[in-house]
Amino acid sequence: MLHRRWWLLFLLFASMARGDQALIAHPAVMKRDLSLNTARLMFSMQMPQWSDGIPVRVFVLPDDHQRHRDFAKNLLNLYPRQLRRVWDRQLYSGTGQPPETVGSEAEMRHKVAATPGAIGYLSSEEIDDSVQVLNIR
Amino acid sequence: MIRFKSSIFVEYMMQRVKVTALALLLVVFSHGALAEYGNDVQIHGFITQGFIHTSDNSFFGDSENGSFDFTELGVNASYRVTPSILVSGQVLSRRAGEMSDGSPSIDFALVDWTAFHSEEWAWGLKVGRVKNPLGLYNETRDVAFTRPSIFLPEQVYFDRVRDLLLSSDSVHVYTRHYTDMGTWSFDFGVGVGTVDENVEIAFLGRNFTGEMDTEGLAYVGRLGFETPDGVWRLALSGAQVELEFDPDGSDPFGDGRIDVGYWAVSAQYNAERWSLTAEYIEEPVDLMDFGTPLLDEIGDITAQGYYLQGSYLLRNDLELVLRYAEGFLEKDDRNGSRRAALTGIPAHRFFGKDWMVGVRWDVTPSFMLRAEYQWNNGTRNLSLRENPDPNATEENWEMFSLLGSYRF
Repeated sequence: MLHRRWWLLFLLFASMARGDQALIAHPAVMKRDLSLNTARLMFSMQMPQWSDGIPVRVFVLPDDHQRHRDFAKNLLNLYPRQLRRVWDRQLYSGTGQPPETVGSEAEMRHKVAATPGAIGYLSSEEIDDSVQVLNIR
Repeated sequence: MIRFKSSIFVEYMMQRVKVTALALLLVVFSHGALAEYGNDVQIHGFITQGFIHTSDNSFFGDSENGSFDFTELGVNASYRVTPSILVSGQVLSRRAGEMSDGSPSIDFALVDWTAFHSEEWAWGLKVGRVKNPLGLYNETRDVAFTRPSIFLPEQVYFDRVRDLLLSSDSVHVYTRHYTDMGTWSFDFGVGVGTVDENVEIAFLGRNFTGEMDTEGLAYVGRLGFETPDGVWRLALSGAQVELEFDPDGSDPFGDGRIDVGYWAVSAQYNAERWSLTAEYIEEPVDLMDFGTPLLDEIGDITAQGYYLQGSYLLRNDLELVLRYAEGFLEKDDRNGSRRAALTGIPAHRFFGKDWMVGVRWDVTPSFMLRAEYQWNNGTRNLSLRENPDPNATEENWEMFSLLGSYRF
């Protein structure tokens, strides 16, 4: 019983440390969780499709948006500058395309809900049934 | 004289108009296409304008009097045909003093096919005009947003012979291996290099009537490693190119060959607010069969260059950078005295050492301003084209530069 209480406390701290946000995906995406490496590869545009062949569609908020910074740092363990560096390297050498930038969290939710294979992120209070939450293992 | 100047101006404006028209066309096309294909077609571009003021010598134009002759304009389009096939191209107009007049050129145009992809491996091919994967910056060297400073460290990324190592019309095979430790990448390309007259001037001293061109195949490769968090980036890269000079009757030497190699070791460490970067290169150059003792005998050299660079993020939009770099035309004659005795050219033409401090301000994510100051000892990085009389160059010179860049 005591163990269980400590465990809950640990989970609470873990979720606080990761910031109050989550990785989200289109409801038809078959995965329920992603490894940290796979999530990083997807957001750095190096994982072009899901295991069932559907193209991965990545949506992000602007580089200077606080939610983007928090997501990169707390959930991906990357600095936003590193994501931009990788996107630029691919874009300007003709070997990749950067993700689509959305203007607000409402637009993020709308786009991810409407685009098959989409992946993005939202703060907890912005999440509803139109998208599914993926855990990062 | 005035007519001559104005015709150059007209030519220059015509090029500008052509590039702008092309850019507009692409934008119009993209708006039509985006609606239909969503994210599959993308159009991006950038425009960069620099200002250079030097205490002595000419660097990117008449810099002693302040020069605006540094403009970079690029538009690129890409189309994701399937998740594993990307078609992309970029047109670049680059004005760099006497070295480049801003005529639009195809920077890259390629098909990238990822033949196999899993959570552990990727294998693929790139076919077309591909940027050479050399060092940390060569592939995107003309995009100000991707450079660590206004000018890349000249001791490692030469501007006087940039075309030799810029890109090649080639076939590349690549592989990436994703592990928990990090991502290993390997890229190897075979093709034909792209050369302009700056290369001839750099190796032979001036632009002769004869033609300098690449001969045979050029090879380029890079082995890279990056930790999953992007903290460490390491790379080992190299290239081999052969040039042939086809003389005209009036040229003072025969049909010589030049073998040029280039290899680089690169390391970068990125912390949250600061990063450290170091790169070391050697460039073995061998001039053969020119039939003149001066070129053939002293034309067997190994150039060397390296730098150490630190940057610190003061605020999320404000970065300071400090760099020290050294480069030598012949690594066994670092003060240039031996070559000076042989050629009568001042010794400081054969080495370059510089300190640089700079600041970058990201006004918005798509607009950036930079200011830098550089203290130089030696004149090896100066273009012969811009400084034709070696005796008129100053050994110690300083440079102040400004840059603004916008991208979409």
